[in-house]
Amino acid sequence: MSDGHEESTFVARRFIVAEFASPQALLDGTTKMRHGGYKSLDTHTPFPIHGIEEALGLKRAKIPAIVLGGAIIGACIAYSMIYFMNVIDWPLNIGNRPPHGPPANIPITFELAVLLGGGSAFMGFFALAKLPQPYHPVFESEQFSRASIDAFFLSVELPAGADGDRAISDVKAAGAIATELVTESER
Amino acid sequence: MAAPHPSVSRDPLEPQPLIEGVHTDKTINDSLLAHVWRGAGKGWFALFSVALAMLGLLVIAISWTLYKGIGAWGNNIPVGWAFGIINFVWWIGIGHAGTLISAILLLFQQKWRTSINRFAEAMTLFAVICALLFPLLHTGRPWFAIYWLMPYPSTNGIWPQFKSPLTWDVFAVSTYFTISLLFWFLGLVPDLAALRDSSKSKTKRMVYGLLAMGWRGSGRHWAEYKWAYVLLAGLSTPLVLSVHTIVSFDFATSVIPGWHTTIFPPYFVAGAVFSGFAMVMTWMVPARHFLGLKHVVTMKHLENMNKIMLVTGMMVSYGYIMEHFIAWYSGDPYEYAQFFKTRWGGPMSGIFYLMVFCNVVTPQIFWFKKARTSIPVMWIASIFINVGMWCERFNIVITSLHQDFIPSKFENYSPTWVDITLFIGTIGLFSTLFLLFLKFIPAVAVTEVKELRHELAHDPTADPVGETH
Repeated sequence: MSDGHEESTFVARRFIVAEFASPQALLDGTTKMRHGGYKSLDTHTPFPIHGIEEALGLKRAKIPAIVLGGAIIGACIAYSMIYFMNVIDWPLNIGNRPPHGPPANIPITFELAVLLGGGSAFMGFFALAKLPQPYHPVFESEQFSRASIDAFFLSVELPAGADGDRAISDVKAAGAIATELVTESER
Repeated sequence: MAAPHPSVSRDPLEPQPLIEGVHTDKTINDSLLAHVWRGAGKGWFALFSVALAMLGLLVIAISWTLYKGIGAWGNNIPVGWAFGIINFVWWIGIGHAGTLISAILLLFQQKWRTSINRFAEAMTLFAVICALLFPLLHTGRPWFAIYWLMPYPSTNGIWPQFKSPLTWDVFAVSTYFTISLLFWFLGLVPDLAALRDSSKSKTKRMVYGLLAMGWRGSGRHWAEYKWAYVLLAGLSTPLVLSVHTIVSFDFATSVIPGWHTTIFPPYFVAGAVFSGFAMVMTWMVPARHFLGLKHVVTMKHLENMNKIMLVTGMMVSYGYIMEHFIAWYSGDPYEYAQFFKTRWGGPMSGIFYLMVFCNVVTPQIFWFKKARTSIPVMWIASIFINVGMWCERFNIVITSLHQDFIPSKFENYSPTWVDITLFIGTIGLFSTLFLLFLKFIPAVAVTEVKELRHELAHDPTADPVGETH
């Protein structure tokens, strides 16, 4: 690949990073912006804020279904593993007890259900969040490091060719106390 | 306008707050991360060198065990399980308080858990690492252990016996360690981002930045994160109960008098929580002082922990009484002899009376508010409880085995220097890991304390002491 080819495909994304004074202001501002027709909204806060799902208009979380699936798969793997090993592949006759004893299989079935359920909660979260992701354009903002400490931000991704100034005035009207337009840097 | 915060002079009848003083997110952030940025003091280095020296003892004891074999330990026939199993059960039990605080109290919406969960979860991880060493070493040749511990398709075609509680234990403990680690790390990610964003040097920013994995506090992430966190808590709750239940099955499914009892699972779980809280207390009392955490780990937290120790201590005492009652009521002469002759008056009875003093008598002082709120009293009591719970496992494992059915089979037991050094060594391993944790990772879940502060400050209906009624 030549350098010229790479330059031609790269389109820098632009974001408005707007700070709000409080969690409530952020919720109200986010709702206003969403009703104002802005699609790619995200909030950045040091802790989860109650009601952010409604403000961003998010659908139901996917994690519960993923965890349920993981747990069921874990239980099936465990039970069939035990059945295969102790009944089909190598039955051990101890005191003439039947090779298939369901109550004795429960503990490991439970443990593997928890292991795969918990594992899928963890892996599922990072997969859905697309983390680890070391670079994101919002990190270009000077003030953004406070998003993990004590500040409440709204980021708005601008569609290609959209007017940045209009978006800034819109987000100010929605209650932002400080705004900044950031552009993705080319890697 | 009425002031939202309580006035300076506090009504003596008003309950202790969960966060002392008036704070902003910034002051909470800075005060809770301060101990990470501050260079290690002389005290830390002093403790760390003691811990490292003890860790050195562990290396010696493990090397000698592997060189000589299990014959280097004091185990004999009939005392085939001894220090190794006592220490395994003791350490696993200590880990249970971490999961109880982080998962069960979360599900019960007990707000006071917030300041101590990170600390207790770290303890869970390190305690389980210490515990795992013992069964592995007990196999004698740990590098072969995978063949009979894990269902590994080896060429000799033999699988583990899945009807054995020892096999269940392998799955229970390894699942417990994995899930505790995932839960701990998931809770840590937003705090690592806070560390990244408040670090002054480029190297620290890089290291914490890598660990934070590009966390940007996104609302879309939080929406899924909250579910992942609460579901991990929901899965950990039955998991922690299952782990010590399965550990107790190792004993309860056998026929040895003193082991063959149905009360073991609940009694083991209560004992685990009891000893775990004691260990959290033993470390928390000095840590909150030296790390400057007194504003988030208040007397309210310590008092609540003491109350839990009182409750679980009573459950453990009930277990002791019930064991004796059933030994008499069953009419089984061997059970009767085990409890009323061997434990009360046998060669190991000193350990039994020490256990009763530490686990039954000691927690009773927590009926008094003065004792519950006195730092020296609770610290000394917590050490007594740690000792008492070790003695309890000694009674179960060794006292039961050394005199079981036929007097001609009775045999005394004494540990060798390797047994004792191994045990001291694991305390060294635990302390080393814990001191490193206190140095490099915020000991209190910063994100959760910020969330709690907002909840307490902005919700007029929220109970200021953080208990749901």
